[in-house]
Parts: sequence; C-alpha cells; structure tokens
Amino acid sequence: MEITWEDGSRSTLSGEQLRWACPCAECRGEAGMAGRLSRVKTLSDAELRIRDVTLVGQYALQIAFESGHATGIYTFSLLRHLVA
Amino acid sequence: MSAPSSQQVLDALGRIKDPDLGRDVVSLGMIKELDVSPQGKVSFTFELTTPACPVRDRFKSQAEDAVGEIPGVTGVEVRMTANVRPAFMRPKPSEVLPGVKQTIAVASGKGGVGKSTVAVNLAAALCKSGASVGLLDADIYGPSVPVMTGSKVVPQQSNGRLLPIDAHGMKLMSFGHINPGSEPTIYRGPMVGKAIEAMMVQVDWGQLDYLVIDLPPGTGDASLTLAQAVPLTGVAIVCTPQDVATDIAIKALQMFRKLNVTPLGLIENMSWYVCPSCGHRHEIFSHGGAESAAKRLGVPFLGAIPLEEGIREDADSGTPVVISRPESAGAKAFVEIASQVAARTSIQSFRQLPVINVH
Repeated sequence: MEITWEDGSRSTLSGEQLRWACPCAECRGEAGMAGRLSRVKTLSDAELRIRDVTLVGQYALQIAFESGHATGIYTFSLLRHLVA
Repeated sequence: MSAPSSQQVLDALGRIKDPDLGRDVVSLGMIKELDVSPQGKVSFTFELTTPACPVRDRFKSQAEDAVGEIPGVTGVEVRMTANVRPAFMRPKPSEVLPGVKQTIAVASGKGGVGKSTVAVNLAAALCKSGASVGLLDADIYGPSVPVMTGSKVVPQQSNGRLLPIDAHGMKLMSFGHINPGSEPTIYRGPMVGKAIEAMMVQVDWGQLDYLVIDLPPGTGDASLTLAQAVPLTGVAIVCTPQDVATDIAIKALQMFRKLNVTPLGLIENMSWYVCPSCGHRHEIFSHGGAESAAKRLGVPFLGAIPLEEGIREDADSGTPVVISRPESAGAKAFVEIASQVAARTSIQSFRQLPVINVH
C-alpha cells in the first residue's frame, strides 16, 4: 500500500506489515485477554494479502485482507507511526 | 518409494475432527485444492469457517503431522484460509449521502442544553437563506424533531427507500417518524449505529446543500457511527454557560478532534433571560462560559442564544422560532449563528479528502 501524505512525503507499507499491526480488539486483545496476534507466530498468505481499502470518516482507513479479516481501523496517525 | 494417492491423504486428514462441529474436516469440506506431486510433495488448502478459528493452529499442525506420517510423503504444505468473506461492515463512503454537499453535526456531550432546538432552528435559518436543507435526527432514544417541526407523520416509501418528510421547506428524517407514538426504542449500542446508518443510506435525501444532523448526548455509538460513516464537514457544539455544561461540551469537542472532524465552533444556549415584567436581563445559567471555553480550546465562538418563552412555545407547537417570530431576539441570534456556521463550512469545502485508489 502506497501513501502520499499531505506534506508530500510518500510511504509504502506491505500487507504483512499492516496485518501484524492490526489494531482491532480480536488481534490486540481486550479486557486483559491476549489478542490473536500475540498468540500466533505465522499468518497465511491470504491473511497478509490486502483485498480492499476504504476510508473511515476522515480519520482512518479500514483494510480488508483476502482472509476476510476487515475489523482493523487504521487511523492516519497509526499509519504515520508505522512508517516513521 | 512412490508418492501416496490423494485418497491416502484424505483418509489421513479424515482422522482430524472439528471439536465444535463434531465431524471430520474432510467430510465438512474443509480440505480443498489437494495436490500430490510425483515426488511426494503434498499441498492443500485448509478452509476454516472463520479466520478467528480458535483451533486454527492445532488444525494446521495436526494436518501436517497426519500427512507427514504417510509413507512416501516428502513434504507438506498447508494453506490455511477461511471462507468467511464479509464485505466491509459499513457502506462505502460514496454510497452514503451522495447528493449532499455539506454535513453539519450538532452535538453537545451533555443532554438538555437545547441541541435539538439549535439544530432545528439552524436548519430552518439555512433554509430561509435559500439553501436546500435536510435535518437528520440521530437521537434514536429521544427524538425531538417531529414535535419541534410539527411533522408527526409516517414516512412514505419509494423503490424500497424512505422518503424524507417535507416540513417548513426542509427535508426531515427522525426515528420518531419511523417509530411514532409513545413506544420507546429499546436498543443496545450496535443497533443505534445501524439505525443511524440506515437513516443515511436508506433515506432518499436527494440533492442537498446542507444536511444538519442532530446528535444525541454522549461521546459513544451515535457520534462514532456518524464520524465513521461520512466525512463530516464539521461539528457545532452546543452548551449552556455554566461549568457543568461547558466541561462536557469540551469532551465532545475533543472526541470529534480525535476523529479528525473539524469543530465549527461553540454555541452558547440559554445565555440570558429578559424578564417580561421587570425588563431586567438575568443570567440564570451564568454567561460567557462557552465563549471563554472556545478561546481556551482555540475554536470559534459562534454566538449566544437567549432563553425565551417564544422559542420553547414555538418548538412545542411545531414551528421553529426563526420562521414563526423572525423579529425576536432568539430568532435573530439563530440566523446570525447559521450564517457563522455557513461561513465556516464554506472554508471547509476547500479541504481535500484522502483519495484511495485500489489496483
């Protein structure tokens, strides 16, 4: 995924990077429970391939992966943090 | 040693049982694209019913072990997938309010500060200025727009979509139209989000210059759904002057800032009261709280609205005060605030929304 920021700088993020950074409750864990990403060591190719991206309001992107996983809402600041 | 047959592989995999479904994974149709190379390399896809399958990793190692033990197998490749292919949980932004130029949310954080009164009069004032205006009442639990606009009618349907109700030149939609009478709407949070989304997607709003959205109190489901579903032009925050109201208004404003929604400014309601018998001006809820809060937060102060019996009477009888008593101090205040809001939204229309290209 390529991003052109408002300041003109460009970043590239792979599906793999994004999948492992998924901020959703299932992946990160919630209420003291460990999330899925801390329990697994590998993810299949379909989990890492981006299928679609959509804008959430004006603050984030929702990324859908080939596996069907689409619950992660990646805020612009998270994305910026990932490429920093 | 020769390579095993596909049937040998399936027999081995057939010993793996799905603990939830109580059957073996082969008869459940979870094994797909099985391939056995002449060199004894076995590869197949293990299709789960959900990517969140709790025994996913166990399945994978069981499959690798079961196949690996077959004589003649030189390698095993298991591709784990899931056949749940949900679309995005929300409609694509282009499908939400396609004909609406500007969406303005009216929020407060705190209840009872006059959000709906402000929203109705703001919409009516924009409408009077010649714009085409819609008003969406996003308060699912306590819809006030039908009473305040004298529009307690059930919406008509056309081509499977709801038609907004026409009143005072505006297009309206409220859950009070959809679920009229005294029956309460008893919904948990996710249902509130769905209801608000439906009022945007399943209502034929047509072409509008402004859609004013009256939000319920709070910084939860309703506001979040709205800020996620549409790129809001901005949000106007209503509060009364006293600290207990401004403190909560600030929370609401900061919530929208976090969601990258531009604060159009603060509106002070119930700012003063002129006693009809003595003619004195009383500042019942204090005065100037919103203006000083706006300064502190670095957002515009959009104006103050007096506490007037006429505003309340006309709201109860179903005509916004800007239409029924345009000469009153309250109506003039609303008109001034509406022009401030319109000016701020015009500035916003030059903003650039992110563009997404999917290849």
